[in-house]
Amino acid sequence: MSTPLPPSARENILAAVRAGQPTAVPLPAVPAFGGDDSVEKFAGLLASIGGEMVMLASLSELASAVARRYPADYHTASDLMPATVAVTAATGGETLAGIDLAVLRGTLGVAENGAVWLPEANMLHRALPVVAQHLVLVLDRRALVATMHQAYAQIRDVGGYGVFLAGPSKTADIEQSLVIGAHGVRSLTVMLH
Amino acid sequence: MSQSPTHAQRSDLFLLDAERTTWHDETLWFVREKRDRAVYATPEFQELRQLASDIKDHTLSQLSEYLAQFEAAALANGVRVHWAADAAEHNRIVLGIVRQAGATRVVKSKSMLTEECHLNPHLLAHGVEVIDSDLGERIIQLRDEAPSHVVLPAIHLKKEDVGETFWQHLGTEKGLTDPQQLTEAARQHLREKFLAAEVAISGVNFAVAETGAVVVCTNEGNADLAIGLARVHIACMGLEKLIPRLSDLAVFTRLLTRSATGQPITTYTSHFTRPAEGKEMHVVIVDNGRSQQLGRPDFRASLKCIRCGACMNTCPVYRRSGGHSYDFTIPGPIGAILSPNIDMKQHASLPFASTLCGSCTAVCPVKIDIHTQLYKWRQVLAAEGHIPASKQYSMQLLSRVLARPSLFKAGGAVARLGLRFVPHALTHAPGYNPWAIARELPTPPRQSFRDWYAQQGPTNAPA
Repeated sequence: MSTPLPPSARENILAAVRAGQPTAVPLPAVPAFGGDDSVEKFAGLLASIGGEMVMLASLSELASAVARRYPADYHTASDLMPATVAVTAATGGETLAGIDLAVLRGTLGVAENGAVWLPEANMLHRALPVVAQHLVLVLDRRALVATMHQAYAQIRDVGGYGVFLAGPSKTADIEQSLVIGAHGVRSLTVMLH
Repeated sequence: MSQSPTHAQRSDLFLLDAERTTWHDETLWFVREKRDRAVYATPEFQELRQLASDIKDHTLSQLSEYLAQFEAAALANGVRVHWAADAAEHNRIVLGIVRQAGATRVVKSKSMLTEECHLNPHLLAHGVEVIDSDLGERIIQLRDEAPSHVVLPAIHLKKEDVGETFWQHLGTEKGLTDPQQLTEAARQHLREKFLAAEVAISGVNFAVAETGAVVVCTNEGNADLAIGLARVHIACMGLEKLIPRLSDLAVFTRLLTRSATGQPITTYTSHFTRPAEGKEMHVVIVDNGRSQQLGRPDFRASLKCIRCGACMNTCPVYRRSGGHSYDFTIPGPIGAILSPNIDMKQHASLPFASTLCGSCTAVCPVKIDIHTQLYKWRQVLAAEGHIPASKQYSMQLLSRVLARPSLFKAGGAVARLGLRFVPHALTHAPGYNPWAIARELPTPPRQSFRDWYAQQGPTNAPA
């Protein structure tokens, strides 16, 4: 699979690294640090990073909760509720760019930082969770873990592409002033059921 | 001594604007305080630092094996892997991939490596439009400047500067200074670029040897947006970015942003393992002096750096001299120990741009002994003849005096007397005594400690 290279660039580099590397030292075992995995902790962290939380009594309330929160004329993409734009992995950029709202299922929430794990299988198109103007992540309240250690232990395989999403897109590149909505979503709401 | 201006000379330019210097100093200290709050709220933070340090030490000690493991896993994932010995080879490889894709429009997310390799000028010279998509990087790209910080590339600018730049290049209203509105203008401008780009270039925060995945951390979402839309993704990484296991990411993602900006995690922590259906993913692994640094026992720990910028935010010299005073891709304390490896003569003044206070070492999330390495580089630079003659000879003289108690005693007496009679203009002349440029010498005492001690009677030891 490697493309044509100047011959032995790889071998030269590996030989130089081998020559420079010190005597082997052991790889430490990382303890399974745990902690508070409560809804309150997660909600507090999510709020602190600019995200919002909506509690659903059950998943059947999803469509009505979304309808209450967002204008009816929004272009919406979702595999969890009735949507107005059909999105697949083959959907083009122009169509994706017109999407106001994506409603997708996160598989795991991390209480220590408010992040939600979104695997490729749940995002319809790799660009959708970042190109949409607004994002709702639906999450089972039993899928909260305390720390990143517990998160990776559960995820095991990140798949072809997967992302921890922690609140809306943001930047502080102009004088350290926090601005929400840099290139990605302008708002991120976790709907917990 | 090097012909290029020294760190102190370049700092003088930054210090011309006292108000801005104060703002820069206070703003970065504010970021340092945010870091502290995040760190103190994480009970096992010090344990995590030790683990991160040990994981990196281990990885560097078996780096060739991990590189081979990473490559094999990436190839099995359908990723194309390229190796570049230096910056020129890196640039050639990237241009080759862009050309093979028949592309002329490239969007790039944050990558200190491509800055180090000067990729943008190379692509532009060959007819490829390359747009930096991180807001701070886009601002400095429009201004044709280098980043002044690894995490906050435009921290040397004020909102008025950004307003001026956007007015000139993006057609915003003249005099616009509201960060919200300026960011919105950049969002609209860059959306078009994201949609048009055929190739997306990204840096790499971590490369996982066991899975062949690369991990990219951003707050803006620019990397994911570009890569998700473009047909070809090129991830450029220094060969020190490897970590052994997926689970090690837990340690590093917990440390990275808490150390950098005080956030609990970046907004986007993205794992790229395989290209999407019908698309291409390339990884370019770059040496460019890293294997040489690995072979320097005193300095190899600098390769553990995860580019959080904590050492910059805390450094009393960096905060008051600005990133551009270092004239190196990576500024601040970490840059001062990486740069002499690349060009000892050109960067000879950087290891001296430090008070050796050790604050950098105290905040480093992977426990690099930065201030010790700064001290050690000074020894190397002196031995290689890269320090100014004035410093070299004055230090030789001083070491002779300090080695002879009688000479030291006589010298002290002369100095105490002399300083009383030599005119102020001479003792504080900037040419002779740079120490006194912004400071007054203390009034010389009437007698030395040694004389005072000799006058004291025998003390009564407590019974």
